[in-house]
Amino acid sequence: MRRALILIAACLLAAPIRAQDALTTFPAPGTERQVLTLDTATDLAAFEPLIRDFQRIAPDVTIRYREFVTNALFEQARGECLAERPGADLVITSSVDHLVVLSNAGCALAHRSPETLAAPGWTRWRDEVFGFTFEPAVIVYNRALLKPEEVPRTRLDLIELMREQPARFSGRIGGYDIARSGIGYLFAAFDARNALIYGRLIEGFGRMRIITRCCSSDLIEELGKGELFIGYNILGSYAYSAQKAGAPIGIVIPHDYVLALSRGVMIPARTRQPDLAKRFLDYLLSQRGQRVVQQEAFFFGLNGSVPDGVEAPPGGLTSGMLRPIVIGPGLLPTQDRAKRERFLREWQNALQGAEPRRLQ
Amino acid sequence: MTPRGPSLYGRLAGVITVVLAIGALVLGWAAWLYARVAADEAYDRLLVGAALQIAESVATEPGRVTVDPPISAFETLALATDDRIFYRVTDPTGENLTGQDDLASARKQGRPGREPVLADGTYRGFPVRIVTLGRYVTGPGVDGWVEVTLAQTRLARLELARDLTLKSLLLVLGMSVLALVALLLAVRVALRPLQAVQAAIAARDPKDLQPVEIEAPREVAMLVDSINHFLGRLAERVGGMERFIADAAHQIRTPLTALAAQVDLLSTESRAERRRQQMARVRERIEQLGRLTSQLLSHAMVIHRREVVQLGPVDLVPVAQAALKEAVPLSLDRDIRVVFEPAEPSLVIRGDRVSIGEVIANAVHNAIRHGAPGLLALRLSRDGEEALVEIVDDGPGIPAAHWGEVVKPFVRGDSEAAGSGLGLTIVADVVLAHGGRLMFRQDPSGHFVVSLRFPLLAQAEDASRLTEDAA
Repeated sequence: MRRALILIAACLLAAPIRAQDALTTFPAPGTERQVLTLDTATDLAAFEPLIRDFQRIAPDVTIRYREFVTNALFEQARGECLAERPGADLVITSSVDHLVVLSNAGCALAHRSPETLAAPGWTRWRDEVFGFTFEPAVIVYNRALLKPEEVPRTRLDLIELMREQPARFSGRIGGYDIARSGIGYLFAAFDARNALIYGRLIEGFGRMRIITRCCSSDLIEELGKGELFIGYNILGSYAYSAQKAGAPIGIVIPHDYVLALSRGVMIPARTRQPDLAKRFLDYLLSQRGQRVVQQEAFFFGLNGSVPDGVEAPPGGLTSGMLRPIVIGPGLLPTQDRAKRERFLREWQNALQGAEPRRLQ
Repeated sequence: MTPRGPSLYGRLAGVITVVLAIGALVLGWAAWLYARVAADEAYDRLLVGAALQIAESVATEPGRVTVDPPISAFETLALATDDRIFYRVTDPTGENLTGQDDLASARKQGRPGREPVLADGTYRGFPVRIVTLGRYVTGPGVDGWVEVTLAQTRLARLELARDLTLKSLLLVLGMSVLALVALLLAVRVALRPLQAVQAAIAARDPKDLQPVEIEAPREVAMLVDSINHFLGRLAERVGGMERFIADAAHQIRTPLTALAAQVDLLSTESRAERRRQQMARVRERIEQLGRLTSQLLSHAMVIHRREVVQLGPVDLVPVAQAALKEAVPLSLDRDIRVVFEPAEPSLVIRGDRVSIGEVIANAVHNAIRHGAPGLLALRLSRDGEEALVEIVDDGPGIPAAHWGEVVKPFVRGDSEAAGSGLGLTIVADVVLAHGGRLMFRQDPSGHFVVSLRFPLLAQAEDASRLTEDAA
């Protein structure tokens, strides 16, 4: 009953966005002995190869895959934790700040294994939250609508472009609705932290009446159709997946600095089957799992490898320009109530308040 | 075989090890306490710094207070990599501005203030260190203290404390081992002179009672001195015994030879008158021999006691009286006036009661035997710091020329007189052993005086010793 209520609440919250709690079941290829429930905020298309591969080495496991938007997933996991009620066996989301908040509150189960210890330091916290992908924030554009020399390679390029041709780009720039998209909020928060030109960028977006969407797929789809010219801070993995599937889009990894996220996975403290959850976690971090992550699911590697067809900075992804979103207590303030409110308010103000400046 | 205790080396090693081990434990415990304090101090600075950063981000807007916890505050705290962070900011009315609503303040009482208050506590079951500090805000419609409470779990502190303790423990252990090795070496070196003494004594000829000549440290030199002192006394004693045995054998052989000759004569004598005379002489010889034997025994006893008996306070008056009584036979062949003249009620010296009684008896005996036709007086008096015992008789006495010799064993004042020369020798020995002197003189009235002088016990000592004795 309670869960139903939460589901209804989640649906209501996210009603205008997309179908929530889409449950997909992957029956065990062999005789079913165990069922693993994954609560995720990840496109099934991206994650499916990992599930299939895992079932090759664990054919007796049925996997239930429940898909949420990031904020709904956060509420769901927090609700289960506070109620001390078993729910998902693994929580997987790109909003790693959510996982850090959950882990900080004692909602996660610690796991230490050779696989977890082999992961880079910035992708794990407290042996409870682990990043298993490498996903840069990229600039995506419609190849038909932008001449190659126009393609913005840095944020400054983008600002210049918007300043020079306001009429052409007005209503043609797309980005996440950071109030609804966890990953959009996270990227925006880190942009605000990292870039001195963040204010000018937001101001430019405001002038261009930026189109905001909840989800990467919507933005990428509109970019492909040519309804949007340029998308800013789009998750590179999803964009590349669409490009690979034939969408006429180009992908640029910004050349000034690169925000990079490692999609997080966490075992809730109340899981009914910690051993199976740990096994899946180890698989994700194992060499075999990482190969699937890089080749079939998320395309970029934790080692900084960039797939063909993506325009990377000339020197490659060097540590100097890489701004990884470090999984750790530094992510706590991004989920601070007061800070979030203030940040969203300022963001809204910037986007709307920019309009009168057109008079200049 | 001497009972053998555990080795000195082993015992020392044991004691040192135990002391060092206890020391190491105490130091380790102290290091743990100190390390915890140090770790708390180190991380408290970060915690307070982060709380200050959050407090700095407090601002006012008309009618309300806002806070914008800076990322840097959390990055500061993230230096303790694995620790959880909880925080809470309340406005002047106590309303929660941000953070965990149920986080308790570290400030238990008093009013809010700028000064950070630190406390230990638990939050949701996690042991945490909490800091609370205030920031006074004033603005339109807002006036009062905003309180920032920041809590962090203790993993990094524990880790640091453990690390510090472990390192200091390693140091302590290292020092302990070093100290143990050094002390054991030192003990080994210190005990080496003892082995030298042992070797020197073991290598000795059993008849060699010469002092041991070893260069030894002060502590061991005392032992060597004691051994040498003991050897000296042993040598003296053995020498005295050898002399005594030789003298005694010689002394007894002479009267025995004479006795044998007289018995021979007696066996061939047929005349009754002569036989009677001969018999009397044999009896006289036997008596003389008896006296000699008893004197030898007495001498041996006195020598023995001198070596063995602890000296104590002795009152000369009763001792002399008893000795006089014992020495004067019930029936004398002469009519002698025996006088006991104590000038003092008591004269206490330090000495051996039995030996002193014996020598007074001996002197009296001597006087009766060698002189004293009509008078024998035993006078006791005090002469300054000395007690004076005088044995006076009206006999011829010992000629002044022989005064030096009579105190040597087996020299008689008159070689023809009956009896042995041991009497005065014993007297001289004992008097000397008591730190006194033996003197002879001829007093103006022509009486012969043998005087024994003993040092008196000091008054106070004397009294206490006597009561002690009585008790």
